Amino acid sequence: MNWWLAAALALVTGGLGPCLWGAARGSAGRRVVAQNMATLLLCLVFLLLAQGYARPSYVDLALVVAVLGPAGTLVFTRLLGDEIGENPPGLRLLTPAVLVGAPATVVPLCIATGPGRAMGKLVLIGLLLIAGGIVTSAAVRRA
Amino acid sequence: MHDALIVVVLLLVAAAATGAVLQRDPARQAVVLSALGLTLAVLFTVLQAPDVGLAQLAVGSAVTPLMILLTVRKVRRKGRRE
Amino acid sequence: MTRRLRLWVLTAGLLATAALYVAACTDLPAFGGSWHPYGDRAVRAALQQHTANAVSSVNFDQRAFDTLGEETVLFSSVLGTVVLLRRTRGEKRVAPGPAEVPAALRRYGLLVLPVTLLIGLYVIAHGQLSPGGGFQGGVVVATSLHLLYIAVDYKALERIRPLGLFELADGTGEAAYILLGAAGLIAGSAYLANTLPLGTFNTLSSGGTVPLLNAAVGVEVTSAVVVLLAHFLGQALEIESEDGAKDGGREA
Repeated sequence: MNWWLAAALALVTGGLGPCLWGAARGSAGRRVVAQNMATLLLCLVFLLLAQGYARPSYVDLALVVAVLGPAGTLVFTRLLGDEIGENPPGLRLLTPAVLVGAPATVVPLCIATGPGRAMGKLVLIGLLLIAGGIVTSAAVRRA
Repeated sequence: MHDALIVVVLLLVAAAATGAVLQRDPARQAVVLSALGLTLAVLFTVLQAPDVGLAQLAVGSAVTPLMILLTVRKVRRKGRRE
Repeated sequence: MTRRLRLWVLTAGLLATAALYVAACTDLPAFGGSWHPYGDRAVRAALQQHTANAVSSVNFDQRAFDTLGEETVLFSSVLGTVVLLRRTRGEKRVAPGPAEVPAALRRYGLLVLPVTLLIGLYVIAHGQLSPGGGFQGGVVVATSLHLLYIAVDYKALERIRPLGLFELADGTGEAAYILLGAAGLIAGSAYLANTLPLGTFNTLSSGGTVPLLNAAVGVEVTSAVVVLLAHFLGQALEIESEDGAKDGGREA
């Protein structure tokens, strides 16, 4: 039983599914928050898939999402700022989710990978995720 | 497990695409299109095509929403003035 | 034709299409499976050419001419966009004012920009080893530059984006790909043939012409996306018609 793939499946059904629902309905603020959460979960899913398929080259996908995901959210914050400001999003789930989810995924993966350049890449991805998550959720709330 | 992942992600892609089509306002459609791009990237990775997934991610996460929203802003600005 | 009649015609057409589609789908080979005649040959050729990423080998070595066509498509579509979105007679350029951005966001943008730039260059440089290549890395590099617009404001972006230089780089990247192909002719082989030494498998210098073509495509795609976004941004933020009333203090 491949636990990494099972975790990825759980994140996809339980995480990306509701994010898709949130991105498709509601006010602009809620949609952007859902998109932000989706990019965070996507990065974690890619890390789990890389370990589950035993293909460390897939970690590059997670690396790119860790930087481009927050960039996408900031695009929406900048250009939909007025619409978000009318109806600010209420839920404040993203910062705790990223502060819990990122270490919870990166640390077991680091243990499974062992020391070396690959672990350095994982740690970098974790740091980028946390920084991106905190900054974008603050930016959306303040839009 | 492999098959379950493929089926779930295929269903998510179908749902996201349908949601994008049913969305009428272009500015909000940009958000749904961004989500569709993310699900497509997962689909390509699950089908063992990471190069295509990376290309989808690169284009669909920041560049495409930026172009759509800038166009919407330009069109609305012109419309508001006339 | 009344509306009801039109809808009936549509329903009939859709049902016929659905029947044909179902008939075709039931005749398809099974999903997945292990019989891949073309894939086996492509991977074998990629290993022969010492290229670890079989997709890059197909793109830049076995089918390099098709990639030249795709790159030219991007080049010409950006060219068309530049012509369409240029400032015409009767429009003027008004510089947008600076935007109010919280300090944390500004700091994030300034810190993450070089990181994203390096990640993009890493993806371009490792195209022959891991998933990625010139196109994917080029778009990441272009997005990194625009982090200055979305995390700071438009004036900051204009400072690091000399547009003339990027337009020049776009043409240079396209020309570099075409001229690299000619190297195959000079070496006595076919156009775009892989005639350079193939190097050791799974190192940065493996694959012969693949890393060079990757770099050319990377330069071209970065500049093309920067030029494309520059014209979209210019139209949305700067250009307005001469006779229009003032827009009341627009922000970047």
